[in-house]
Amino acid sequence: MEKSIKRCFPLFVLPTLIAFTIGFIVPFLYGIFLSFCKFTTVVDWSWVGLENYTRIFIVNGKLDTSFLHAIWYTALFTAVSVIVINLVAFGIGMALTKGIRGTNLFRTAFFLPNLIGGIVLSYIWLMIFNAVLQNYSKTIVSSQWTAFWGLIIVVCWQQIGYMMIIYVAGIQNIPGELIEAARIDGANAWQMLRNVTLPMLMPTITICSFLTLTNGFKLFDQNLALTGGNPGKMSQLLALNIYDTMYGTTGWQGVGQAKAVIFFILVAVIAVAQNKLTTSREVKD
Amino acid sequence: MKKKLVSVLLCAAMMSTLLAGCGSGGETAPAGDAAADTTTNTTADTTGEDNAGTTAASGDGSVYLLNFKPETDGAWQDLAAAYTSQTGTEVMVVTAADGQYKTTLQSELAKSEAPTIFNIGNASDCAEYANYIYDLKDSSLYSHLTDKSLALEYDGKIAAVANCYECYGIIYNKTILEGYCGMDGAVVSSIDEIDDFETLNAVATDINSRVDEINDALGTNLTGAFASSGLDSGSSWRFSGHLAGLALYYEFKDAGCDLTAGQETVTGKYLDNFKNVWDMYINTSSADKATLDSGAYNAEQELGLGEAVFYQNGDWEYAAFAPDNENGYTVTTDDLSMMPIYFGVDDANEGLAVGTENHWAVNAQASQEDIDATLAFLDWVITSDEGRDAITNQMGLTVPFDTFTDEYTSNNAFAAKANEYAAAGKTSVAWSFNATPAVDDWRADFVAPLTEYTERGGSWDDVKTAFVDQWAYYWGMTNNQ
Repeated sequence: MEKSIKRCFPLFVLPTLIAFTIGFIVPFLYGIFLSFCKFTTVVDWSWVGLENYTRIFIVNGKLDTSFLHAIWYTALFTAVSVIVINLVAFGIGMALTKGIRGTNLFRTAFFLPNLIGGIVLSYIWLMIFNAVLQNYSKTIVSSQWTAFWGLIIVVCWQQIGYMMIIYVAGIQNIPGELIEAARIDGANAWQMLRNVTLPMLMPTITICSFLTLTNGFKLFDQNLALTGGNPGKMSQLLALNIYDTMYGTTGWQGVGQAKAVIFFILVAVIAVAQNKLTTSREVKD
Repeated sequence: MKKKLVSVLLCAAMMSTLLAGCGSGGETAPAGDAAADTTTNTTADTTGEDNAGTTAASGDGSVYLLNFKPETDGAWQDLAAAYTSQTGTEVMVVTAADGQYKTTLQSELAKSEAPTIFNIGNASDCAEYANYIYDLKDSSLYSHLTDKSLALEYDGKIAAVANCYECYGIIYNKTILEGYCGMDGAVVSSIDEIDDFETLNAVATDINSRVDEINDALGTNLTGAFASSGLDSGSSWRFSGHLAGLALYYEFKDAGCDLTAGQETVTGKYLDNFKNVWDMYINTSSADKATLDSGAYNAEQELGLGEAVFYQNGDWEYAAFAPDNENGYTVTTDDLSMMPIYFGVDDANEGLAVGTENHWAVNAQASQEDIDATLAFLDWVITSDEGRDAITNQMGLTVPFDTFTDEYTSNNAFAAKANEYAAAGKTSVAWSFNATPAVDDWRADFVAPLTEYTERGGSWDDVKTAFVDQWAYYWGMTNNQ
């Protein structure tokens, strides 16, 4: 029985494989190809080799730092958001597995921000921020740092509830006997956390940190709606920078594409490294 | 342990479908509902005025217009349906979302059913879409064009033909302004006396300092002279584009280069004039200077509710203030008029700024049948009664074709004002900002130090540096390839 299923493996995988090829592999390879071309529309290209890649960094014969700025600004944004989101989500997850009254209500409430789309969410927050900041004669785009913390707040607000749910699932999965045994052995709260909960939660942590990390790098909607890259492109994260190059700069579609390829490599390398790092700490049965 | 991982993964997967469900707001191009099913009724009569090359009677070709102006979508859909029922030629009209024209155009052009008519804004657009430009030299569209300078030439071809022209200046509430002129101690005794920057500045400053007095005397609810000058992206183009356009215009005029194609460097020699006008805008307004980039201001509404007297914008605002407008504005077009943005350079001869970013280009990569059908359709649009009525009365455009006479002349009072100034011997200011390289980027880079200057006392030199350096930077970026 099992053998015949194995034999039919190609047949079963075929529909998904075709969809995956059409929807992902072909556009992906074509995208890489286009990054070596000058093009106006994707069917109208001419080969230019590595020129697009050099033009990312050298413009008018001079070193250009706008893309580098976007890279470190995004990296910093991602680092801060990963740490804040995971710490807070874990904290809330812990609190909401203690069986306090209204647990379900809290979980629902914390999760709700996720159900609002990024653009709408950001416009709402834009109003809130500016209404508050008006008292200090400032706006959210007064400097790249007000924009930075604005983005952090919005993204945390949106994603904490989501990560919390995953943490709750992970915490509830820790076997009761393990906790009981630790307690009988006389472990205090800190030891419980350090030696029981955290090791058992490593798969969850892997997933949550992976999700927040990639979300941070790929952030676009909130960036576009909340700051629009202002002041003067200083708060552009990578995705918005690429979008801006692609559509905002006449004749630079190829360069935008080259930036997107670099962006992909960057995110892939970091995500794989992160995955390796956290997976290696998972408790093996 | 495996089980745990699986359950966590499942949980994550479940959640991510939820997230994906609400996170992706794809652009929804309104499908061509106008492309009513084409029963092949072969009516051959495409309205008179046969010109070489455009005599294709309805037949195999189809037309696909990618419309630039969202506010005209309804009128275009009706027009397309009317044409289809008359001639049997399939006409599809798709309107790109506001601010999304370029993204939409690029993806649409890559399709096999690409737009046959698309919008081109300026000379650098011509360069970008060089492979898609059909020479309109022999088209009836071009032959009807009254002012041939309103066509874009590229590479020896007539690349695109303007389908409307617009003007901008300072819209003012003449009812309040006249009332002010009649008051004791007014700087001027009639609106006509405001004919240069110094006078305008004096009037605006005086009005702004006597708001309460004017409100008491005239029963108005003014809060300031000028409407707010928002520096958020929804409003800053009025200054980084249109107001800066005057600085560019006078500079290009001195340099003797093409006024709308520009040149690779600018010196910013008229930026001091820009600064004077800008200072007037922000100092004679009730808006808090420090929060102009918050996006919380609505200048149009301030004028519409009679809270401000002056508002820099263009004749496309006419519809918003129409007597039966849906905005709830108490101030309507009867109260409004437009004056030039007196720039302090050549005020005696300065008219309104007249130009366009709307040019029709025909897709050269479409099949010959489609091109013929497209040219026939455009000819019909500017010669038939339905087409002319839709353009003048429903879309409210002012068009540069000789077929728009009598009842089809524009009823836009602001546009009429532009002609009035021109007839009085003033020179209309050309839309020199059309020359801006990488226009969105350049404007963003210019607005940043302007905001710094306005809100936090930043240096004006930074504004100047951005104006000059970023121009050369983006010019080099987009032209030296």
